[in-house]
Amino acid sequence: MSRHRRSELRSRFFLAIAIAHVATLPAAAQDAPFPIAAWSRTTAAPETTGSLEERGAAVFNNWCSACHSRGPQNAPGTTSLQFKYQGALPAALEDREDLTPELVALYVREGIATMPFLRKTELGDADLEALTAYLVKN
Amino acid sequence: MPNPPPGLSERDFTTALGRIEEVVGREWLFTSDEDVALYRDAYSPLWGEDQERFASAAVAPISVEEIQAIVRIANEYRLPLYPISTGRNLTYGGSAPVYSGSVVLDLKRMNRILEVNERDKTCLVEPGVSYFDMYRHLRTNGIRLWIDTADPGWGGLVGNSLDRGGGYTGMDFRDHFDAHCGMEVVLPTGELVRTGMGANPQSKTWQLFKYGMGPWVDGIFSQSNFGIVTKMGFWLMEEPEAALQVSVSVPRRRDVVRLVDVLHSLMCEHTIPSQTTVGSPVMNGSADPELVRLRTSGGAADADWDRYAQAQGRPFWNASFVYYGARKVIAAQWEHTKDRLAGIAGVQFRETASYTFPLSDEQVEAVPDKARLGIPSLNLFGSRNAPGATPSEGHLDFSPMIPPRGEELIALADVTGKIYGDLGLTPSFVGGLMFHARTMICFHAVPTYRNAADNRRTRQLFETLVRSCADNGWTIYRIHAHFQPLGMQMYGFNDGALHRLHETLKDAIDPNGIVSAGRYDIWPRHLRRDRA
Repeated sequence: MSRHRRSELRSRFFLAIAIAHVATLPAAAQDAPFPIAAWSRTTAAPETTGSLEERGAAVFNNWCSACHSRGPQNAPGTTSLQFKYQGALPAALEDREDLTPELVALYVREGIATMPFLRKTELGDADLEALTAYLVKN
Repeated sequence: MPNPPPGLSERDFTTALGRIEEVVGREWLFTSDEDVALYRDAYSPLWGEDQERFASAAVAPISVEEIQAIVRIANEYRLPLYPISTGRNLTYGGSAPVYSGSVVLDLKRMNRILEVNERDKTCLVEPGVSYFDMYRHLRTNGIRLWIDTADPGWGGLVGNSLDRGGGYTGMDFRDHFDAHCGMEVVLPTGELVRTGMGANPQSKTWQLFKYGMGPWVDGIFSQSNFGIVTKMGFWLMEEPEAALQVSVSVPRRRDVVRLVDVLHSLMCEHTIPSQTTVGSPVMNGSADPELVRLRTSGGAADADWDRYAQAQGRPFWNASFVYYGARKVIAAQWEHTKDRLAGIAGVQFRETASYTFPLSDEQVEAVPDKARLGIPSLNLFGSRNAPGATPSEGHLDFSPMIPPRGEELIALADVTGKIYGDLGLTPSFVGGLMFHARTMICFHAVPTYRNAADNRRTRQLFETLVRSCADNGWTIYRIHAHFQPLGMQMYGFNDGALHRLHETLKDAIDPNGIVSAGRYDIWPRHLRRDRA
């Protein structure tokens, strides 16, 4: 995926969140006896109207990019993988051609080194499916 | 079906979970081994050992009403619950319960930003809101207010505040519990309480004035198990016109006494607004044999240290901090700072980064020291820092608090360095971080592992550090769940009177002992015998 495309997806994701901020209040919040000027519910599964892969990109941005963006800045996971593979494999997950669904699931649910596993309230099974569609190229 | 908590019959456990499932729906009750394993403490110093704490199940409500319903069911069966907010309090216990067999009450789904009031510079949030969520919300909506973030941005405002964590920006904001204003709490009986001005349903000042009327009770909900906080207000920092990050270095070991005295004075007079870190480029340098010898000696002479520093070509101490505000004011503050420190022979001043706000997305990406501008990141959480390095697997934060005095920082480095040396280990980071107005916290990371042998050594080291530092008057302010009984022992004045008071409150507020049994060593009456 090109940098431009990724940037566009990121913008769309933020736009979806921005729309959520001004949406009508849910019933559960309306009983609050104080004014609620703004609210958001950044769901475990970021809602996009796009394809599974696009939704996977949103999941990646939400849960993975703080460590695994292409870097080198702001990407401690990418830096760590760079030291691990030393050029034998791409350090950025989005550039990997060899990831399998099993491997993605393993790291999300079991973690590795300092990366902790993610609970289903954070990254649910549907998110994992979308993330897999985004990261698994073959 | 998972194993029931101790003391609960399988039939009651099954019935209670069935009723909880009716409240939250099947999707949000987790009972399979693989789902419940996601609530382990990823950095546990007991990983894989018999003593490791495990949940029996987890439940993720979406509303206050669902929490109340769950709490009422738990009271009927004496089902132990362990609330977490984002569950990312790693290094202090993560999402694992203190009392094995508890059902984790996972509040991550309650992630609404209920209000951001730009005019009042306040917000009201639910427990599942992370620093990333809040930052994204402010930035996406063009709101020129800052959060103060903990180092790892995956944590949340509510949980970090309740564990009394800290950040890096202005004094009113970086002590995260002090920066809160108003709470909503589900008590262990299921009753809903709002603190401070929130107790008046028509109040317009819930997030503006902390105390309300009568005893101010907010403190009892921090580092405790007296209720489930469902909303919390916070004060937010107005985005300044500019920021200037600077560093001050001094050449000799004993210079730190004067350096810290002046920095503390500048903070007290509000010239320096930010958290100030005092570290040692010499003591934190690459561990050559001479450095290890000096560090582990238990008190090498200043002259020996200064000779070593000179040979290394490094200043002994370096302080880093940030000014926020109008450019003209910052220039005057920086000049005043330099005037006050000019009397230290060899002092050097350096401007390390300058910012004018607002920042573009590209500028935000390029900020190296993000937390000092309230920008969340995970930049401190890399596993490897060199090619071929053994990856780190986790750590505990060891966090003794000392007076803001350089001689105390030197003494602590001597005491802790010797402890490491006696155990055959290389001493860790030395530095003092002035998060709070009148103290320094001397954090360092103690590594944890996924194997029992290394973790046994870590536990021995950690316990020795806690006891030795407390003997010297450097008590820790926050501690990993496994070590909370040890931590509370260090607060033992009058045969543990403070701890007895905590448990007296527990009995009154949570008579069935269902919320977070054992957190900060506060146990409900029916479990105290087991603990002894």
